[in-house]
Amino acid sequence: MVTSGLVLSGLRRRFGDLVALRDLSFDVAGGVVTGFLGPNGAGKTTTMRAVFGLTDLDGGSITWNGRPVDATVRQRFGYMPEERGLYPTMRVGDQVEYLGQLHGLSSLDARRSTQQWLERLGIADRAQDRVEDLSHGNQQRVQLASALVHEPDLLVLDEPLAGLDPTGIDDIGAVLVEQARLGRGVLFSSHQLDQVEDLCEQVVIIDHGQLVVRGTVDELASAGPPRWRVRVDGDRDGSWAASLPGVTVSEVRGGEVRLVLDPGTDSSAVLAAASRVGRVTEFSLQRRRMSEVFREAVR
Amino acid sequence: MTRALAIRLVIAALVVVAVVRRRWRRRPRRDQPVATRSDARASSHANRSVVLLVATREIRQRLRGRVLKVSTLVIMLAVVAAIVLPTIRSHTSSRVRLAVVAGAPASIDALAARTATALGLHLRVSTVTTTSAGKADLTTNRVDLVVTDHSNVIVARAPSPTDTSPAAQFVRDLANELGTARAVAAAGLTPAQADALAHAAPVTITALSGSGRRHLVDPTSIIGIILTFVLLSQYDQWILTGVMEEKSSRVIEVLLATVKPLQLIAGKVLGIGAVALAQGTLIVTTALVAASAVGSSILHGTAPWVLASSLLWLVLGYVFYSWVFAAAGSMAERMDQAQSLVFPLTVPLIVAYVYALSTASSGNASLLFKVLAYFPPTALFAMPTLVGLHAVSVGPFLASVAIDLVGTYLIAQVAATVYRRAILRTGGRVRWRDLTRTR
Repeated sequence: MVTSGLVLSGLRRRFGDLVALRDLSFDVAGGVVTGFLGPNGAGKTTTMRAVFGLTDLDGGSITWNGRPVDATVRQRFGYMPEERGLYPTMRVGDQVEYLGQLHGLSSLDARRSTQQWLERLGIADRAQDRVEDLSHGNQQRVQLASALVHEPDLLVLDEPLAGLDPTGIDDIGAVLVEQARLGRGVLFSSHQLDQVEDLCEQVVIIDHGQLVVRGTVDELASAGPPRWRVRVDGDRDGSWAASLPGVTVSEVRGGEVRLVLDPGTDSSAVLAAASRVGRVTEFSLQRRRMSEVFREAVR
Repeated sequence: MTRALAIRLVIAALVVVAVVRRRWRRRPRRDQPVATRSDARASSHANRSVVLLVATREIRQRLRGRVLKVSTLVIMLAVVAAIVLPTIRSHTSSRVRLAVVAGAPASIDALAARTATALGLHLRVSTVTTTSAGKADLTTNRVDLVVTDHSNVIVARAPSPTDTSPAAQFVRDLANELGTARAVAAAGLTPAQADALAHAAPVTITALSGSGRRHLVDPTSIIGIILTFVLLSQYDQWILTGVMEEKSSRVIEVLLATVKPLQLIAGKVLGIGAVALAQGTLIVTTALVAASAVGSSILHGTAPWVLASSLLWLVLGYVFYSWVFAAAGSMAERMDQAQSLVFPLTVPLIVAYVYALSTASSGNASLLFKVLAYFPPTALFAMPTLVGLHAVSVGPFLASVAIDLVGTYLIAQVAATVYRRAILRTGGRVRWRDLTRTR
């Protein structure tokens, strides 16, 4: 049994008639970015809140390096909740520094670390501004700085990329990967599956409060039948493939049709069908995308 | 209340505190592992440190805001005005200016001087050549009254029978004195007979039962009661909005990921309490300086004790009600929700405030009012009022403080439980029945 890193074992939680978590177990290793996926209401936020003692559990246990997670252990965790939480009228620098001190940093260390993180995240010039005066993206950066200021051993981030522009996603994504390279555990939830595929080494997918898929991105992408990626000039919806026997349309996006062929189905027959629609510009074998892994897991 | 009873009350209160404390410590906590002794010491140190951090943030935020500065300035100005203006007014109203028409009997001066002395007035007498000149001086407000002879007193405006001001009293008394002097002269009495008549000793009054004890109205008490109410309302509003802001902005989730609910609420109460104490001390000091500068009566007698007692009860009252307001704030996300929760809880506060003002004004404390001085939600107004009326001694005073501390401890336990269960529930006002469920 794995004892290092964050280990969640048999978590159970019920809200009235709704079962939020049912015997959920998985682990988050240090040095790895772990994507935490699931449809809305799957129990991701409840799980993350349980790590921080923000919701009571009906059963199960959570440990960090073999030790039960308590207030002392949580001091070394960083958290970014789904609904962003900052004092609206407090100055940015003061806020990050205060949260650093609450995590056990001295005043001097908190100030120094705050300065470093605000610079790293490109908001050092806003340190004296009130949080409510910042844009959504910059508030998100302040929130991330607050989670990182005490150099935590584990980062738990609920939808850290939501609502960010591509630059913001790149900046925050780079920080997450960098933290993992420093040996820290990173668990983050997201519905942006392309980003998850780019950033994560490991993925956990839950549905209806229970684990449905868990593995590395490579393992999950390689597992299952391969995809045929087909591009045909003038075709946007891949309707030509839907009626082919032994062929399932896995995904259609931007003129690209991804197909799963049943065992025994001849790929040259598919290529011939595509050629009848128009000029075929691409016909290649691909690994599963994370979006396909997700859809197939929670179907 | 006897001293022995007061001591028994204090001992009983201490026993209750000890029992509740032991039970509370024995209670198992779901999220706490069994700690070693050194862990417990380290944890205790960390607890204090976190509470101080939270308190320091509260103090900084309040000191940075305009509300504290403006309210302190306004209250200080109001207090200075409340002390200085009555003193100046009392100095002005203690003076009376009399004009005597030339040729009037010389005895008028003596009669006027005796009347003024009896009323505690400073008399200034001038002479006018004619009655018309005297009337002109009255019209231009250079004098308050003109006497032509033993038969006529002229004033600018006739004093109302209900006017109890010293000046009006002087006019009425001087008119009576002049009338008596004229009657004595008309009766042909010798000066010795007239003097004996004027200084006749009253007969003895024999009562079948003692008189009801009625104390003088104490302005210091009234100032203390009003200040306590104004300041307490302000501080409790800070607690309410502070807790609500943390909940509605969702920062509470970040805080409680590393801080225990009790640490957070205790830090908030401590921080705002420190600001409250500093502001209260500043205002009381200002009051004392202003009173000393103008020679106000609030420095005389037991007035300084009344002020000190008001300050003490302001702090005790704040600590008691801050828990109530913190619990209410944790159950609401909007001010209207919070106000509807808070209103029934503050009814005792408002009732005690009005009752204390009425009691301090009348100078008589009823039995019910004396009982309220030992009831924590109302003691903050009732006990300082009793101090102002000299209706309580040290023993009962300390007993009331002890009862208040026990009450505060108990209310803090209830409020902390409510806070812990309500603060993370979002999406509308938390109902009382929701508090019975886990979060």
